[in-house]
Amino acid sequence: MHPFEYSAAPDIPSALRAAGADPHARFVAGGTTLIDLMKLDVETPSRVVDINTLAARHPELGRVVPLPDGGLRLGALVRNSDLAWDAAVRERYPVLSQALLAGASGQLRNMATTGGNLLQRTRCWYFRDPATPCNKREPGTGCSALHGHNRIHAVLGTSAHCIATHPSDMAVALAALDAVVRIQGARGERGVPLGEFYLQPGAHPERETVLSSGELITAVDLPALPWARRSTYLKVRDRASYAFALASAAVALDLGGGLIRDARVALGGVGTVPWRSREAERALEGKRAGAEAFRAAADAALRGAVPHHENGFKLPLARRTLVRALATAAAMA
Amino acid sequence: MTTPALPAMAGLPVELDAPAPDLLLASHPRPLRLRDFRGRPVVLAFFDGEWDPARHEHLALYHRILARLPGAPAELLALPIDDDPCRGEAATRTWAAAGGAAFYLIDADGFVRWRHLGLAGRVPRADEMVAALAALAAASPPDQSPAPCTASRREFVALTLLATAALATPPSLRGEGALAPAGPPPAPPGPAARPVTLRVNGRDLSLTLEPQVTLLDALREYAGLPGTKKGCDHGQCGACTVHLDRRRVLSCLTLAMMAQGHEITTIEGLARNDTLHPMQAAFIEHDGFQCGYCTPGQIMSATALLDEPWGPSDDDVREAMSGNICRCGAYPNIVAAVQDVRRGRPG
Repeated sequence: MHPFEYSAAPDIPSALRAAGADPHARFVAGGTTLIDLMKLDVETPSRVVDINTLAARHPELGRVVPLPDGGLRLGALVRNSDLAWDAAVRERYPVLSQALLAGASGQLRNMATTGGNLLQRTRCWYFRDPATPCNKREPGTGCSALHGHNRIHAVLGTSAHCIATHPSDMAVALAALDAVVRIQGARGERGVPLGEFYLQPGAHPERETVLSSGELITAVDLPALPWARRSTYLKVRDRASYAFALASAAVALDLGGGLIRDARVALGGVGTVPWRSREAERALEGKRAGAEAFRAAADAALRGAVPHHENGFKLPLARRTLVRALATAAAMA
Repeated sequence: MTTPALPAMAGLPVELDAPAPDLLLASHPRPLRLRDFRGRPVVLAFFDGEWDPARHEHLALYHRILARLPGAPAELLALPIDDDPCRGEAATRTWAAAGGAAFYLIDADGFVRWRHLGLAGRVPRADEMVAALAALAAASPPDQSPAPCTASRREFVALTLLATAALATPPSLRGEGALAPAGPPPAPPGPAARPVTLRVNGRDLSLTLEPQVTLLDALREYAGLPGTKKGCDHGQCGACTVHLDRRRVLSCLTLAMMAQGHEITTIEGLARNDTLHPMQAAFIEHDGFQCGYCTPGQIMSATALLDEPWGPSDDDVREAMSGNICRCGAYPNIVAAVQDVRRGRPG
């Protein structure tokens, strides 16, 4: 690990100052991504600003609180396990609880935070190996996965410069729920809908989100969505637990009289970003809840997919994952 | 050159500049005693008898130290501290090695010239050891006609390690007093080092650490608590699981600096005096391990999940424990152990 300066921030203004003063600074919360990547020399920050200490001065960062409109505000420092087991989340947004519990391990979920989970880096093995070219890690060096081993890579949202998959399960559920990321910067606070938070790789895979240097995620807002009680997350992976998704689906259905009034669909494990599929949602709306509509939605979701030589299996896998998730949601009490 | 008789082991502490008491080092395949090494300096290193794959790092360190002292062809005798009836508890008492680490430098004539007692669970720093050996080399040039030795060092080390493997108590059985070196002493702290206080198993430990030291390395290499294991060092295997404020976390992905102000519990802190934690007892009862390397992490994970809202089934245990990998495949027995404890819990 490269040497770095460590400081613990007592409050948000200090954290912003510490990070703003050094373009190579990184915030650390759970550390589950950052410290791992620092050991691999993929991340080499000159300064690490510990934000776990912010919760003493800003207790809301560590809490889940109701919003006036019926939604929930998830503090950026709420640990993934606490969020997954939160009573309000389990009851009103089961897809989020399930996505969190499908990710990582009990130990990692006790460490990882809401804000940090959003900023997980890809598990692309070339990105994690500084000995290989990677446009995301070292812009302009090329993409090793395009013609290398790409079984785990993305089929949606790829470019000629990068086909790395976004690894988060939580963010897929948040994409389906229209979550809003609350961001604090030196110039004030802003809210960015999750659908605009992530950037597809295009020609600049090194830019993954709209966060500017020195900006801090303080919370994620879940808008009120009463019918999200009928929501679920299905994850398919190489082993039964503790593995990243090959394909996953976060779905919510608003049913009335057997018809689908409204739907939310997002896919994981197949996109360069958490993949909201409005095409699938449109294919479901107004249809009778059943296999035919679910298959049509899955076809719509994967219509633009671009397979590479080792990951063509992800197209049928993602389709079937989505169909199964929709059937599960439709059957919920 | 006079050769004073080695006194019989009398149970008195070994003093500096006094003749070193003789010590039966091994009885198999043939008796080997400390006096057999007379004629050349000996580094006697007692350390915790726990079997630990990192041990070879420890030996490698001393080999490197010895290699840097061409004038002092000292023998390295690495001795596990355990309940080996051949050596007996008296030996560890005599050498003040019980419950910790102890290091002695014995000159070619059999006199104790330097010692380091690991009362604080500390390994001597490499430079201390080098300085002591250098002083010894200057004071007494090596004997040109060393007494015959009944075993080569390589043979002896192999013998000792074998004995360690056979006799080691499972790490989970060791009390919190078992402070021992597991790897090379850390390099002298660099300019970025700063004082850090970690509260481990109810005690405050004052360490001087650089920011990049993980909690795992701080525990193992600086605090003398090697019960927590380093497996993958990347958050993928669970061997390094400890409790932070009673919740299970991975010490390999936690900077030691981040753990300040939190209550850290390691495998060494689970037992209460001589009473094992019920989960430790259940792992023994159900044979929940084979090689034992993942076991501290398994047990730390298993004890923490008792306080998590998992369902009652075996599948719930498998899911909850999926972050702890066991290459020996002791999973069925681990599930049985965890379920035993869960079912036995009141309420």
